[in-house]
Amino acid sequence: MAFTDQEILETIRMVELETLDIRTTTLGINLLDCADPDLESTCEKVYSKIVHHGRDLVAIAESIAADYGVPIVNKRIAVTPAAWIAGPCGEENLVPLARAMDAAADAVGVDYIGGFTAYVHKGFTRADAALFDSIAPALAETDHVCASVNLASTRAGINMDAVVRFAEVVARTAELTADRGAIGCAKLVCFANAVEDNPFVAGAHIGPGEPETVLNVGVSGPGAVRSALERLGPDADLLAVAETIKRTAFKVTRMGELVGREAARRLGTSFGIVDVSLAPTPAVGDSVSDILELMGVDRTGAPGTTALLALLVDAVKKGGAMASSSVGGLSGAFIPVSEDAGMIAAAADGALSLAKLEAMTSVCSVGLDMIAVPGDTPTATIAGIVADEMAIGVINQKTTAVRLMPIPGRGPGETVELGGLLGTAIVQDPGAFSCRGLVERAGRVPAPLQGYRN
Amino acid sequence: MPRRFLTVEDVHRARGREIVVDEATVVTPQALRAAQEAGVAIRTPAGPWREPPPDRGPDAARAAYALPHLPEPREDALAATGVVVTVVGKNRRGVLAELTAALAEAGANVHDISQRLIEGYFHLILTVELPPGEDFGALKSRLECMGGPDDYVVRVVHERVFRFMHRV
Repeated sequence: MAFTDQEILETIRMVELETLDIRTTTLGINLLDCADPDLESTCEKVYSKIVHHGRDLVAIAESIAADYGVPIVNKRIAVTPAAWIAGPCGEENLVPLARAMDAAADAVGVDYIGGFTAYVHKGFTRADAALFDSIAPALAETDHVCASVNLASTRAGINMDAVVRFAEVVARTAELTADRGAIGCAKLVCFANAVEDNPFVAGAHIGPGEPETVLNVGVSGPGAVRSALERLGPDADLLAVAETIKRTAFKVTRMGELVGREAARRLGTSFGIVDVSLAPTPAVGDSVSDILELMGVDRTGAPGTTALLALLVDAVKKGGAMASSSVGGLSGAFIPVSEDAGMIAAAADGALSLAKLEAMTSVCSVGLDMIAVPGDTPTATIAGIVADEMAIGVINQKTTAVRLMPIPGRGPGETVELGGLLGTAIVQDPGAFSCRGLVERAGRVPAPLQGYRN
Repeated sequence: MPRRFLTVEDVHRARGREIVVDEATVVTPQALRAAQEAGVAIRTPAGPWREPPPDRGPDAARAAYALPHLPEPREDALAATGVVVTVVGKNRRGVLAELTAALAEAGANVHDISQRLIEGYFHLILTVELPPGEDFGALKSRLECMGGPDDYVVRVVHERVFRFMHRV
């Protein structure tokens, strides 16, 4: 099959100059068979199974990156929600389970392992409650473990009791990791309508419908989209913009599918999904915000941003859907404020507020991601921010998430260096007014009409 | 279904000097240590226990080729491997000769060459074919070691990448 010079050069340019990469190859491992009446035995089995299955992941990902000339940035592991395997042991303290996951991640050489997880959108089992109580100490003590909880769904509504408990967990995690800039909170996320096959941390885990083991990939490519739009020029109309994004997303997704299928083949496991998300990094040019600004706003956060984000995400999904029949995971555009150089600049200029970010999440970016708030933000306010975001997910029948970082000793507008891929956060102002009344009512927000679909 | 795991607890509970497990059983490292300390042998009906290859589950075998309508149906051991070599660098005599000599030594067939010169720099695209049995990895590392920072840079990419990205 012959290729034109233009096609060949386009691919080389995307990889070399436009930071096109495979953001993550995530091996999902089902741990349900590790449940044991004895917590110590559960931990032993968890460690053994993860190492047994994950041992070759890093080497295989690196061999594919070398063969195809496409960088695979992260290798990760997602496991069955810990609360589901902790049931039989009846222990209150599940930190040992997190330690076992952490040790296994260390042994196989992955940077993060997701699945210290519970689903509580309707209520708590004993194991769910134990997991909630163990999250803060577990995240403080481990390096690689990520925790996530599902607090709401379109079918069940919002479990406000769980929202309030989550807010307490966030505050406690910030407190326990205060000496490291509340870094524990970067590994903790809550969801409405969590997806079972999410390859991206912090929310990665493997849901009940997933096979024994499965290989999922997350592609990135904001740089490639930005550069395609740059070549298109400022005079093209919005249809042309959408078309250009679609074509780029198609190519990026195909690359993800190739890598995912090849990784699955070499590992001898099932290929799951490609998550077609525009995932930025703090690297210059690898920014979703830059794309929005190129599309037509002076600064991300200006009026018009939500409309452009809607167009962007929709076009990415359309290109992705044409490229692969296995699109899954979150598949949207991430707008993690701290991890995107353009977002950081927009926040520093005062263009991007918490309220605008929340509005942007309603058109299918994934949620309030990596938002720093002052360390003295009341728990009730954190619960209110979470509840608002859950409501957007529940009513729009989409996944939304919240990853908040109360930064100890910092006030609105101050800057925090988080380091590495986590970038730089500018502390957002959650406002002076409280929602204590809402929090004190407790109970559940019933499922909306949208949930009654049968 | 065979026993999935053998844990320290299982070793402590066992009576006698040996534990017989299934070949697919995963013995945890802790259990191995405990058995060693207690002088208990762990074996399978066929002989001493060794870590089994990972059992990826019932879906795994089929899943690698679950989407035959994509540009690549199935790996064919008898088909040649397409490789795209791109080279960028300062123009000087003998670059093409060096590259094609290296390709010939690696057993590759050149299918197509296109070259452009812009202000003393050249850009070269070679489409080559690697006969069945020849090692792509070896060709790649051999060619990518050529040239240098002040000379030229070689990139060797599997043709599959372009097929996936540019063909519907």
